Amino acid sequence: MSTDVYKQLRANPYRPWPARITSITELTETEKLFEFRLIDEDVREAFDFDAGQFVEVSIFGVGEAPISISSAPSKQGFIELCVRRAGDVTSALHNKQCGDIVGLRGPFGRGFPFDEMKGHDVLLVAGGLGIAPLKSLINHIHDERHDFGRVTILLGAKNPGEILFRKQFDMWKHREDFDLIMTVDQPDDSWDGDVGLVTKLFDRLDVDATSTYGAICGPPVMYKYVIEEMRKKHMDADRIYVSFERRMKCGIGKCGHCGVGHQYACIDGPVFNYWEAMNLQEAI
Amino acid sequence: MFFRVMDKSRLPDLVAGLQTDFEVIGPVAKGEKFVFATLQDPDDLRLDYDTTLLPPKKFFVPPTENLMKFETADNEVVSADVESSPRVLFGLHPCDINALMLMDNVFLGEYEDPYYKARRDSTLLVGVNCEPSPQCFCNSWGTDEVHWGFDIFLSDLGDRYFVSVRSVKGAELLDRFVETRDITETDTADLQRVTAEFKASFPRHVETSQLPLLLDAKFDDAVWDELGERCLSCGACSMVCPTCYCFDVKDKLSADGKTGERTRVWDSCMFSEFAEVAHGHNFRASSASRVKYRYYHKQWGYLSKFERVLCVGCGRCERACKADISPRVVIDALQKGAAVR
Repeated sequence: MSTDVYKQLRANPYRPWPARITSITELTETEKLFEFRLIDEDVREAFDFDAGQFVEVSIFGVGEAPISISSAPSKQGFIELCVRRAGDVTSALHNKQCGDIVGLRGPFGRGFPFDEMKGHDVLLVAGGLGIAPLKSLINHIHDERHDFGRVTILLGAKNPGEILFRKQFDMWKHREDFDLIMTVDQPDDSWDGDVGLVTKLFDRLDVDATSTYGAICGPPVMYKYVIEEMRKKHMDADRIYVSFERRMKCGIGKCGHCGVGHQYACIDGPVFNYWEAMNLQEAI
Repeated sequence: MFFRVMDKSRLPDLVAGLQTDFEVIGPVAKGEKFVFATLQDPDDLRLDYDTTLLPPKKFFVPPTENLMKFETADNEVVSADVESSPRVLFGLHPCDINALMLMDNVFLGEYEDPYYKARRDSTLLVGVNCEPSPQCFCNSWGTDEVHWGFDIFLSDLGDRYFVSVRSVKGAELLDRFVETRDITETDTADLQRVTAEFKASFPRHVETSQLPLLLDAKFDDAVWDELGERCLSCGACSMVCPTCYCFDVKDKLSADGKTGERTRVWDSCMFSEFAEVAHGHNFRASSASRVKYRYYHKQWGYLSKFERVLCVGCGRCERACKADISPRVVIDALQKGAAVR
C-alpha cells in the first residue's frame, strides 16, 4: 500500500469509499450475491484482506451494515458480498441495480489464520448464511489447494432452496480434492443429499486430530453443537475457529455495539478460536 | 514537570488572560448544581464546585455531531470537515482528567478518530484539586491523583495555588498572563499536608480486589437478576459517565432526500436494542444482561485491553440513577455475595 493512500484511508476511518456494483446474482429468495469494484484506483489497489474479514456497506440516507467478504483475497479488484435482506441497509442494497454506487469501508477485523492453516487438513462447517464468510476461506484454499491436506466441507441449510451457492457446490460434489457433504432439515422431492443437522454428519468423518483446523460459521445456536462434535474428534480448542455475528456498527472498536465478553467482535474478531471463545462470556 | 506558586488573588488575571486567546470553559453554577460552560466573565468560574451534571466528554464527543455531509445520488461524501477551535477547559478535577486519558485510549489508539483528535489537540486542560463529595470514590481506583494529561494543574493551599506545569503551552501561557514565583519547602510541605487531609476525608473506600475474577466467577449469580429488575434501562448512567464512549450513527436526510448528514449520537449499552442484529436477534435482551455487561466491560473488558478500569469514581452515575444502582452497590454485591441497597 502506498503511503499516500494509506494516509488517506487512515485520515478518516468513518469515510466510506465509493464502490460500483458490477454484478448481482440472485441466490435465494432472500439472498443476493453482489460484486463491487472500488472506484478510486489507489483505494482499490490498497484494498487487501483476509478471509473472514468484513466491510461496512454504507448507503447514505439509510446507514451502514457489516457484511463478511465472500470472495477470496486472491480475486483482485473485486469484492463479493453475499447479503441477506434483513434490515434497512440490506433491504436498500437489495433494491440497487448493477452500476449503482454504494460506499464501502474496511476491511475490518481479524479473519481466519490462513497461513497457519497451511500444511494441515481443514474441516469447514457452515449453516445457512454462515457460508458467506466461509466461502472466502474455501475459495482461498481452492486457489492454493496444493498447500493443504484434506479439505472437508459440511454444509447445512433449512431446505434445498436455501442452500447458497448451490450451483457451485453441486459441481463440487464430484471433485476429488474437496469432500463436500450437504444436508437439509426439510428435503423436497428433488433432494438426493443428506437430511438432518450438520452435526449428524460427523459420525462418518475420519478426522486426523493432530493435523486438522476447523472453521465454523452459522446461526448462533449451531456453534455449541458443532464444536462438541469437533471436540469428540479430539481436535484442539485453539485450532477450531468460529466467526461471530454481532452488531459491528463502526467496525473500528469505538461505538461499543459488538461487545462480546471482554472483547469487541469488530477488532478482536469476528473470527476467534474456540479457546478464546470459551473465555468470552455469552459468546457460545 | 515543573512547579510554580500563584497567589489566589491572581486567578482572575489568568482566566482573563486566557480569554484573550481562547474560549475558556469552566464550572459555573446552574441552580444549585454546576455545569461546564463557556465563561463570559472570569468571576463566573466556580472552582469550589463539587461535580458537574455532565462530564467534560461533551466537548470532545458532543451528544450529537455531524460526521459528514453526503449526496444520495452517487452515494458521495460532500464534506467530512473536522471542526475545532482553540479552547481551555479550566478547573477539571483529577477524575475528569483521568477519564479523558481513558477516552484517549479508545479514540486516539488504533483507528484514530479525527473528530476527537482535532478537539483534543485544540483544547488545553487546566486542572484543580477538589474535596470529595458523598458519592466520590476515586480513591478506590487511584484516580484521585493525576500526574499527566493536563497542561496546568492548580492545587489549593488556602491563600495560594501550587501550580504544576506539564506542557510547553501551559508554561508559556502561565508566564504570559500571571505572576508566579518559585516553590519553597513550605509550599511543598503544605501540598503534602493538604493531600493527606484530602485522602483522609473520603467518605468510603470501595473494595476492588479481584474484580475481574469475581465478574467471571459470578457471571451467573442471582445478583444480576436483582439488579436487572431494578434497572430502568434509561441510560442515564452512561450519559453522565465521563468514560462511557459508545455511540450510534444516524443518517438525516434533507426534505428532498438528495442530501443529508451522517451524525454520531451518544448511545448506551443500557438501551434494549443496543446489541440487536439486523434480523432481530438480541444478544442482550434482558435488562439484567445489560447491567452486567456495562460493569463487565468497564471493570474487565476495558481493563483487558488498556490495563485500567473504565471508571474514575466520579460518582455521577450514582447521583443520576433512579434505581440506586452504582459501582459501589454492584461491586459491594459482588464482594459480599448479595445485592445491597
